Amino acid sequence: MRNTGVIFRRELAAYFNSPIAYIFIIVFLVLTAGLYMTPFFLQGQADMRGFFGLLPFFLLIFIPAVSMRLWAEDRRAGTFELLMTLPLRASEVMAGKYLAALVFYLIALAGTLPIPITLGILGNPDGGAIVTGYLGAVLLGALYLSVGIFVSGLVRDQITAFILGAIACFFFVGIGWVALFIDGWIPGLGTFLDGAFGLSDHYESLMRGVLQLGDVAWFLVLAAAFLALNTYWLEGRKHG
Amino acid sequence: MSALFLRRSPLAGIKQITETIRGAHAMIEVQGVSKRFGQTLALDDVSLSVEPRSVLGFLGPNGAGKSTAMKIITTFLAPDAGTVRIDGLDVSERPLEVRRKIGYMPENVPLYDDMRVHEYLAFVGASRGLSGGRLAARLEWVAESCGLVSEYKRPIRELSKGYRQRTGLAQALIHDPEILILDEPTSGLDPRQIIEIRDLIQELGRTKTIVFSTHILQEVEPVTERVAIINEGRIVADGRIGELKRRAMGGSRVIVGLAEPAADALASLRGLAGVKSVMPLVDADAPTRFELRGDGDAPLDAGAAALAREKGWALRELRESPFSLEDTFIALVSRDAAGGAAHRGEVRA
Repeated sequence: MRNTGVIFRRELAAYFNSPIAYIFIIVFLVLTAGLYMTPFFLQGQADMRGFFGLLPFFLLIFIPAVSMRLWAEDRRAGTFELLMTLPLRASEVMAGKYLAALVFYLIALAGTLPIPITLGILGNPDGGAIVTGYLGAVLLGALYLSVGIFVSGLVRDQITAFILGAIACFFFVGIGWVALFIDGWIPGLGTFLDGAFGLSDHYESLMRGVLQLGDVAWFLVLAAAFLALNTYWLEGRKHG
Repeated sequence: MSALFLRRSPLAGIKQITETIRGAHAMIEVQGVSKRFGQTLALDDVSLSVEPRSVLGFLGPNGAGKSTAMKIITTFLAPDAGTVRIDGLDVSERPLEVRRKIGYMPENVPLYDDMRVHEYLAFVGASRGLSGGRLAARLEWVAESCGLVSEYKRPIRELSKGYRQRTGLAQALIHDPEILILDEPTSGLDPRQIIEIRDLIQELGRTKTIVFSTHILQEVEPVTERVAIINEGRIVADGRIGELKRRAMGGSRVIVGLAEPAADALASLRGLAGVKSVMPLVDADAPTRFELRGDGDAPLDAGAAALAREKGWALRELRESPFSLEDTFIALVSRDAAGGAAHRGEVRA
């Protein structure tokens, strides 16, 4: 726990030591809030479904941009060798890095809190749906980041990590669209993949204000699986 | 001692006794280690042992396997075959304990450029379990002994090469390790900085076990007598420098310089007693300088002087030329290459 904390603090500081972090947060807030607020004034509805509905697509770009550096930067700079020869377990280093990225995302997400506050002042929004919507946003970020950190470990180059990360995350969104095509080739496979990995069912029920243990567990199990794969890769790499 | 036996199997107890009888075990014990990267065999059955509180100079051309061997000793890589024991602990079985004992400066001194020197050192210290007053004391000590006080609060990305190197060394020393593994600690430094690092290694070698690699031979002799030379993944020599020179070169070497070219010089010199070979230096058509190699202990310079008197040559130069570490190194490495080629030929036939 202490070891994870040491890595966590260094990684979080690394985000804020570079101007990229501030640019990232500003662009994230301007785009999400801006794209949400434009139709908001036209519709005149006090809810955040539009905001949460956009997030899975925004985060396809934003999350890989946060996670791409996690291993790729260390491998390029050679500090990876330093990290892997400190008396820390691979899982502790991995957890420190992942949590730092997650907290960085949560800080950016917290920047959107003026939206529900404004809604509360202007109208009478469904508070429950907003809370579960934010829970969905946190879980979505946690899942995308786990994919991103895993992909970052596989490559040396940050740009490659970004592109592969975005493509990998897109799978969760896109599988629902192509499930029927896949079923056309191999009956049942598309439906199966969509059922297992499709994001929309789980995310949309949270967006609507429906809190089901199964949906929350779906995010957590998948995120844990990618983190486990990442640790497995870290331990197996020695024999490469 | 008896408490120790109770916790272990009887066999382990016997092993412990034999080790105690044999005296202190080696601090670093590498046995038959091989490592392959795809098609290349980076290390081929490498064995090495380093006694406690001694300094080993690890020599070899670039790409010989020095860094790979160090990565295995520091648990960054796992060997494909063979074992490595650090203070008796197997690197594959107890990597975390091994890492605690070792301070490691990897090749090219990787540092976090976004941090300041003191932040970086504190980060490494904290990862190594230091905190509070102990961490503060160690930070002060490494900053002092690595000459980092003036740059202590500077961002690492602004440091000169020399200070980066010192920061890397300070990082390796922060937890006062028993063992230091330094991969090319002096590469890219100016002569004054090289001497500083060299002195520091020598100083630290009194209390710690140190392995440092280099491809610059002059750096080894002032620091330590003990060297291991690696080439194409194989240890080609391991021992004291003086011993290696004698063994590799076999005999002595004398340089003879004449004032005027003499037609029969080459043939006459070849005829001298105890001369194994004569090589004209510089000018091939009318040579005036020759390198004489002797096979035994016969003093070649006296023979050459007598010959010169007899022939009436005016001598401009006559001196014994001791073999340098370079000569030894090149002789060992090329002998190894020839041996390797012969070996490969055998396999094909």
